Amino acid sequence: MAGRQSGIRPNEESSDVRGVRAIAAAALMAVSASGAGAADARRVTVTGEIVDTWCTVTEIMYALGTAHHQCAVWCALGGIPVSIQDDDGNLYVILKVEDDDTSVANPGIVRIQTHKVTAEGDLYERDGVRYLIVTQVADDQGIVNLTHDEYGIQPFGE
Amino acid sequence: MKGSMAIFAALFALGIGAAFGAEEWGIEHEGTARFEATVVDILCELTGDCPAECGGGKRQLGLLRDDGTLLLAAKNFDAFAGAVNDLISFCGKRIVADGLLIHDPAMPLFALQFKRLAPDGEWSRANRFFKDWAERHGADKAPEWFRHDPAIKDLIADDGVFGIPGLKPEE
Repeated sequence: MAGRQSGIRPNEESSDVRGVRAIAAAALMAVSASGAGAADARRVTVTGEIVDTWCTVTEIMYALGTAHHQCAVWCALGGIPVSIQDDDGNLYVILKVEDDDTSVANPGIVRIQTHKVTAEGDLYERDGVRYLIVTQVADDQGIVNLTHDEYGIQPFGE
Repeated sequence: MKGSMAIFAALFALGIGAAFGAEEWGIEHEGTARFEATVVDILCELTGDCPAECGGGKRQLGLLRDDGTLLLAAKNFDAFAGAVNDLISFCGKRIVADGLLIHDPAMPLFALQFKRLAPDGEWSRANRFFKDWAERHGADKAPEWFRHDPAIKDLIADDGVFGIPGLKPEE
C-alpha cells in the first residue's frame, strides 16, 4: 500500500521505503512478542459474587452461593479462572488483584470465593470475554447468597 | 441447570477411549474443535505486561488463533482443574489444541482435552494437573484430589462447606 500511495510500484521501492518497511516489520514483531493485542481498557466498578467461571458458564450444576461454595474452592485451587458475576449475570474474569498478578489458584482469591464484593478496576473486552484487572476491592460483604437450603451441597451432596 | 447428568461426563471423563480426539460432555452450546493456535499469557496479550515464560504458571493462559481470536483455556481433562499446567510448557509456541469450544452466550470458553506441538508433535492428554498433583501428594488420591488437597482441607476446616464458619449441613 505504501508503494501505491507514493506512486512507486511494489517491485520498485526505494531504499527509504524498504527501510521503513523493515522498521515497521521489526516493530510489529517486537509488539507481538510482548503482547500484540494490548487493548484499550475502561475503568469500571463491578458489584457481584465471586464465582467459578466454568461451572457458571456451562451450568453443569447450580453454581451460586453457599450451595456451590465448596466446589468453587475446588475449582479455584484447581486453576480454573475465577470471575465476578454481577446482578445482570455478566461475568468478569479476574486476571489481577491490585499488585498480585496470580490468577491461577491464588490463595487470596480463593479465600473470598462466593463473597459479594465491589471491585474497581480496568475492564478489557476481547472476543466475547470481559477480563478484569482489579485495582481495588472497595467492599467485601462476605457470603450473603444463602442457597444451600434449596440446592444442598453441589455437586455431590457432601 | 442444563442437564445435571452432564456433570459426571464433564468432571470425570477420564481415560475412556484411546483415540486422540475430543469427546462431547453434554454441555449446552458445546462443539468439538481442533485447531492450531499460539499459547499466550492473557494478561500480557491484553496489557503488554509480559513476564518471562507467561508468568511461570501463575497466570491464566489463552489460545491465540490465526484470525486473531483469543480463547480462554478454562478447563482441562481433569476433574475441577484448569488448563494452565497443560499449556505452560508451550508458552509462546504453536500447538494443535483439541477439545470443546463452548459457545455460550455468556462468554466463550475452551476445554482442552488433548494437545500437541504444531504441526505434528506427539499427542498427549490434557491431564497434567492430576499428574502434577499426584507427584506432590500421591497417585492413589489424585482421582479425588479435591477431597485430599491440604489447602482445600484447611479452608473447609476453617470456613465449612458453605463458606460460613459454624454453618454446617444438616445431619
